[in-house]
Amino acid sequence: MINIALPKGRLGEKVYKLFAAAGYEFPGMLDNNRKLVFENEELNMRCFWVKPFDVPVYVERGTADIGAAGKDILLERNPDVYELLDLKAGFCRMAVAAKNNFQDDPEKILRVATEFPNIAKNYYSSIGREIDIITLRGSLELAPVLGLSDVIVDIVETGTTLRENNLSVINFIEDLSARLIANKSAYKFKGNIIDEIIRKVS
Amino acid sequence: MLNLRLRPEEKAALKLRSLYENYGYSFYRMSRFEEYDFYADKKDFLTSKNILTFTDTNGKLMALRPDVTLSIIKHIKNSESVQKFYYDEKVYRVPKNAGTFREISQAGVECVGSLTGENIREILELALLSLKTLADGKKYILDVADAGIIAELLKENPNKKEILKCIAAKNIHGLKNFNAPEKIIDLMKIDGSIKNSLNEIDSSTAEIINSLENYHGEIKIDFSAVNNLNYYNGIVFRGFIEGIPESILSGGQYDGLMASMGQKNSKAIGFAVYLDTIRNEE
Repeated sequence: MINIALPKGRLGEKVYKLFAAAGYEFPGMLDNNRKLVFENEELNMRCFWVKPFDVPVYVERGTADIGAAGKDILLERNPDVYELLDLKAGFCRMAVAAKNNFQDDPEKILRVATEFPNIAKNYYSSIGREIDIITLRGSLELAPVLGLSDVIVDIVETGTTLRENNLSVINFIEDLSARLIANKSAYKFKGNIIDEIIRKVS
Repeated sequence: MLNLRLRPEEKAALKLRSLYENYGYSFYRMSRFEEYDFYADKKDFLTSKNILTFTDTNGKLMALRPDVTLSIIKHIKNSESVQKFYYDEKVYRVPKNAGTFREISQAGVECVGSLTGENIREILELALLSLKTLADGKKYILDVADAGIIAELLKENPNKKEILKCIAAKNIHGLKNFNAPEKIIDLMKIDGSIKNSLNEIDSSTAEIINSLENYHGEIKIDFSAVNNLNYYNGIVFRGFIEGIPESILSGGQYDGLMASMGQKNSKAIGFAVYLDTIRNEE
């Protein structure tokens, strides 16, 4: 039995379509219902939707043998898993954004609002800048607009939301996309099945 | 006869102790405490940077042992002959995701001195036998790699840290992004079977592995076992048991630690078994 964790939401649906096209179909996965676990007895596989942030947890602890997670979440949670494949879906970037007229004052501690405190900490420690982290759970753009923070560290896809709020990207941090991850121990014992999945979806 | 119901990790520890005794390893009992300065000096060789400290009656800052190997190496006499020890101890660390210190049960063996291939073979065999004992009929795998090759290839590479992370994660697209040497990418792609990949590691190590012919189904050449180049300089290995989601055994050759303790002509090899991973299974 292979257990697969997919992230609930748009990215997960894209990834599921890759799986389905490769012959790994789980009837009812895309239906609008409350079911969480879908089994394909013929394949001897089980697939389930979890919160995007939780995919690495399920995989690291072995509840799922493999999963699909955004690189942003892998960088933030730093799980001890194998990152076997770039699924080349959900391309976006991690970036620093600020109000259009923002001038960084190096004498002050920079206030950074983000959903990704570890990514922000690692980035600013790599360039040696002292920061004050403000962890938020969404609507990041509001923070610089209302003066809660100087900058935000966030995922930027098209930049439309930033522009509409008079914000712009000032530093690029990393390219992001969905990755296929595997539990290290599961890969030792189910490696041939997992490798076959990788061959077919890539 | 004592009538005791032992916990799974206690039973496992006793089985391992009897295995190591049978191989002529002597039990090493040590104090739970060391002076804090000792660990501060040797922090390159610690996996966990958090150390639990307290002040002793004489005002000295002491630490609860975060690691057993360091203490053993510190306390043994400098000697040319080969010395063999095993332990079954508690260490104090902050495990990932715990957020606080925890007492962790660890058993293991160390073999130090002027080691020969036969000593290295014995340690590998003991690692395999430890896994077999703990697996209790389930499948087990020992990943083996050569940290020396990776260290040589990454000498003065500006992306060393990132590349090592990619190696541990079998992240080949990441290795390409960080311009890792082509040779490393080739090493990550090998299929691991003894038959096809033995020529990728140091020839004397390959010979040793070849001689463990009863275990060729359980040994895999897998460079994702290389994680800490500060600690390991030669062969490294990591053990897994089917159904246990994390590695249960890890070890390798660590001559660098011997050198940092002033024992420049000595070599050392050993491994630790994380007994708490079994308890979590029950």
